[in-house]
Amino acid sequence: MTAKQPLLSVQNLHVKVEDKEILKGVDLNIYAGEVHAIMGRNGSGKSTLSYTLIGHPRYVVTEGKILFKGVDIVEMTPDQRARNGMALAFQYPVAIPGVSVSNFLRASVKAIRGKDVPVKEFRQELKAQMKKLGVADEFLGRYINDGFSGGEKKRIEILQLALLKPALAVLDETDSGLDIDALKIVSEGINNLSNPETAILLITHYQRILNYVEPQFVHVFQDGRIVKSGGGELSKELEARGYDWVLQELTSSAVS
Amino acid sequence: MSESKLINTFARERVDNLASQNGEPSWLKELRVSSWEAYLQTPMPTGRDEGWRKTEIDSLDLSTLNAIDLSTKNDLKAKLPDWFETALTFFDNHSGVVAEVGHSSISAKLSADLVSQGVIFCSIKQALHDHAELIRPYLSKIGSDQKFVLMNKALFNSGTFLYVPANVEIEGPFVSLTHFTSLNGAPNGVAIFPRLIAVLGKHSKASLVNVLSSEQGKESKSSSRSLANALVEVHVEAGAKFEYLELQKFDDNVFAITRTHNQVEQDAVIKSLTVAIGGSQLKGDIVTVLNAHGASSDLQGIVLGDTDEHYSFNTIQKHNAPNTTSNINFRVALKGNAQSIYQGIIEVAKVAQKTAAFQSNKNLLLGAEARADSIPKLEILADDVKCSHGATVGPVDREQIFYLMSRGLAAPEAEELIVTGFFRQILEACTIGRAKEWVYDVLAEKIHQV
Repeated sequence: MTAKQPLLSVQNLHVKVEDKEILKGVDLNIYAGEVHAIMGRNGSGKSTLSYTLIGHPRYVVTEGKILFKGVDIVEMTPDQRARNGMALAFQYPVAIPGVSVSNFLRASVKAIRGKDVPVKEFRQELKAQMKKLGVADEFLGRYINDGFSGGEKKRIEILQLALLKPALAVLDETDSGLDIDALKIVSEGINNLSNPETAILLITHYQRILNYVEPQFVHVFQDGRIVKSGGGELSKELEARGYDWVLQELTSSAVS
Repeated sequence: MSESKLINTFARERVDNLASQNGEPSWLKELRVSSWEAYLQTPMPTGRDEGWRKTEIDSLDLSTLNAIDLSTKNDLKAKLPDWFETALTFFDNHSGVVAEVGHSSISAKLSADLVSQGVIFCSIKQALHDHAELIRPYLSKIGSDQKFVLMNKALFNSGTFLYVPANVEIEGPFVSLTHFTSLNGAPNGVAIFPRLIAVLGKHSKASLVNVLSSEQGKESKSSSRSLANALVEVHVEAGAKFEYLELQKFDDNVFAITRTHNQVEQDAVIKSLTVAIGGSQLKGDIVTVLNAHGASSDLQGIVLGDTDEHYSFNTIQKHNAPNTTSNINFRVALKGNAQSIYQGIIEVAKVAQKTAAFQSNKNLLLGAEARADSIPKLEILADDVKCSHGATVGPVDREQIFYLMSRGLAAPEAEELIVTGFFRQILEACTIGRAKEWVYDVLAEKIHQV
């Protein structure tokens, strides 16, 4: 393809969960090399978008398209999407007792890269990433997310993304529950995911993380759609004026 | 009816014949005969009996079975099953291997050091021959009114004897294998009666791996079942420590009825793991009697069922004395149409104050037609006790599957990882050699099969 094609193109996306429509026509284009942030209140549908992108079976697409690398992925299973280069860092990653972090990471890296990585090589790569994220060695032997603190879970999520190197990383409220030091480390981990071939979609309701991960595009989510889009400065305006400001502006522009 | 035919059926003649062909002492013959008499007087259990629910005991036709003699010849070069050879690599520091493979028997080569300390590890046949007076009291120490235990006590003709004298501590595990072919080219099924007796003298320490297995006969699957009726009796004397691992891995012709009885004395400790991964019907009772002050037991169980396999395990934690502790952690995962019923009984005698007894049973249903039941039963007569029990039955958590899939694992891989993880938590408790890695591999292989 000669014309530049978006890495992700969400078109008129409608999604329902147990017969309740949550997403009501989302449009969003993300190109390689870009960092986008979606901001919005709790309950505005931000997390629904992230789950829908990765293909959680509970979220049913009723209308619209999700094109990833030019291909509609709506019918794809989550593992197909992951192998295709998409990854989601969960807000609340689930614990899986009995499955150690190291076993899981190896299985996951093998699945995504399509081949086994030699143990020694893998360990070197893993240790280097763990060091960057300040994850202690003992985590490798622990069961995934089992008894982890909120901050530990977030670091392990980012560690996984660092190993999987997705083309599109979706981060769902990765900043919540982090103290300022952890936030800095995790933000640096997120920044390291970014390069001209990859894109990042940050979902958050605080502006705080955007001091460390600077998006070129900010979208405001409200009632299942994007109601306003702008550059990085929009997040600061939101922080200063609150979400109500966007809504008021919308109503007044509708009147005029 | 020819004589050989006659002695292979379940009859008094078989009992007499065993005694004479093995040149057994008269007291042993008397024990066999009295067990046989009691066996005859005990009614056959039915599927309506509580302990036998969900088993198809009614379908077991004893009159069609041929009792066979395992290990009739000593053959050090006998071929061990390949998977057992593999298993042994996980126990490279073992203290001795006794194997009964069909008609062949392989005896253990114990180190001179163990022999000089008085350690005995051999087939039960050899023990009856060489150490008759030593084993004698243990043959009748643990009484039973169970039909199949009495049957075993009358007809046992294979199995293993482990004797660790007082104050002897042994690091490397002992390994025992009882392996047979369920179809010996005969139209009817066969029956075997292994009996294992382990005696841990005062303040001794040892571990034992016991494998009960069979392989599919060369002929196509016959409709008649074979019977493996195994009895395991463990005596952990005061202050002794024993760790036990049992693997039940039968082919789909075998109806296996196993009974393990652990007798735990003052301040003695038993740790055990029972793994059941194959057979048409597996009915297992694991009884642990905490018989004196300070005795403690920690039992783990793993059932991995598939196809039409039926599993029925009953555990009994019996506290007969004060300050005793028991813990049971029993986990079941079922694929296909497999069925399981687990019944866990905690009995605390009136004198057994300060008892702590815990029981947990978790069941994962993987197949759409799989079924699991869990029935706890508490009979507590003491008033100062700590007891708890818990059970869960359900499919694999879909959020866990989704999480793993979102990281690139296909649905079957994700499920496999979760199920092996489910068991791994239990395996962590097993400290015999590299047993947990071995069992993990065996489980992964079975999960992988379909």
